[in-house]
Amino acid sequence: MVIAEVQRLVKKYPSFELKDVSFCLESGRITGFIGRNGAGKTTTIKSMLGMVHPDGGTVQYFGKPFIGNEAEIKKRIGYSTGTVSWYPRKKIRDIVSIVKGFYDTWDDAAYRRYLDMFSIDEGKTPLELSEGMKVKANLALALSHAAEVLILDEPTSGLDPFSRNELLKLFQTLRRDGVTVFFSTHIISDIEKCADDIVYISKGQIAAAMPREDFIVKHSQSGESLEDTMLRMEGGAMHA
Amino acid sequence: MRNILKKEMRLSASILTYLFIPFGLMFLLPGYPILCGAFFVTLGIFHSFQSAREANDTVFSALLPIAKRDIVKGKYLFVCLVEAGAFMLMALSAALRETVFSEAGPYKANALMNANGFALGMALVIFGLFNLIFVGGFFNTAYKFAKPFVAFVIACFLVIFVSEALHHVPGLERLNASCTEEMLLQMLLLATEIIICFLLTAASYAGACRKFENIDL
Repeated sequence: MVIAEVQRLVKKYPSFELKDVSFCLESGRITGFIGRNGAGKTTTIKSMLGMVHPDGGTVQYFGKPFIGNEAEIKKRIGYSTGTVSWYPRKKIRDIVSIVKGFYDTWDDAAYRRYLDMFSIDEGKTPLELSEGMKVKANLALALSHAAEVLILDEPTSGLDPFSRNELLKLFQTLRRDGVTVFFSTHIISDIEKCADDIVYISKGQIAAAMPREDFIVKHSQSGESLEDTMLRMEGGAMHA
Repeated sequence: MRNILKKEMRLSASILTYLFIPFGLMFLLPGYPILCGAFFVTLGIFHSFQSAREANDTVFSALLPIAKRDIVKGKYLFVCLVEAGAFMLMALSAALRETVFSEAGPYKANALMNANGFALGMALVIFGLFNLIFVGGFFNTAYKFAKPFVAFVIACFLVIFVSEALHHVPGLERLNASCTEEMLLQMLLLATEIIICFLLTAASYAGACRKFENIDL
């Protein structure tokens, strides 16, 4: 079942352009959104969350357009980023006490469970957390309001290999629970480890959007790893 | 709306905003340009905008399950609440000056603006200008606030200077009269200034909602 749909998204900046970006997110699947730095991943994600106004195109969740249903849709999705932290000097406990008031579906027991699972000390401030712990704290927030779709911008960026592995395993656990995970990355091995689907963006255009297995069948040459395939494709795109 | 206001007060606000509210009591100071109290209150609010920006407050708020318009509403509600708190202290100070301390020497010999209805109203006009120039200006980008603040400071001190000067102009001495002496005039002036403050804030809020809706965060 399609849970989110991005259709013909266009956004023009003086030095960059998103061109007709279209893809779907299927319910209960992990989709890796891959592309090199500056390919348009963050702009696409921000457009999906209404933070950037596209010059054209639409974004729908649960069959409803994002514009006009913003508040209702945002209750059902969670967002986390590995690059920004909120209220760096406020205690996690204080941030959460405010955030939970916004969600009717907030589950305190689930929140406690995720704190334990991620070993998060809610007496700490985001400033006192490592990059990996910040991502986990954001995830705990998103998961405690029973988000059906998680949109994660570079969640593995800046993580050590152990934390990255832990996070990717968590995605798989969430998938088992029926959560749809959409995460952007420029690390191809992240996709290899856990993604069911690949959305590959290059120079602001979607170069491929399909199940990972189909991508390998369609684009890989014999004996080539996914990483080699993507490097070759990206090299081709750079020379095009 | 209660939630967004709670967020403003507990997460976005700087402690300095609350600490600067008592500057409303500057209305008790004799021989001092008392409208500077209103300026200090706005300076306290400015600190909240500064700390909120450092904490990525706008983007955080945009991710909460509320419409973008509600983010603007929360910010204006917070600002107006702080201004209302300071205004109550100013009104209390003015009431004390006109009743309990009405015969006190320093107040009788006060060469500057008296704490009367006109002065209270001018404090509200300063708050209205702050809401229009600074808060409205901030929502042009939801990020840059230096230029709006400088523009507000200029406007604010111009208002303070003019307000202090007006009652020295022949024929306008009654602007500095006490409420007991000129009850009707002072109340009329206050009512007019309340309306000005409301209009400035309402215009600023409507513009801010429109602008914020189109901003890329």
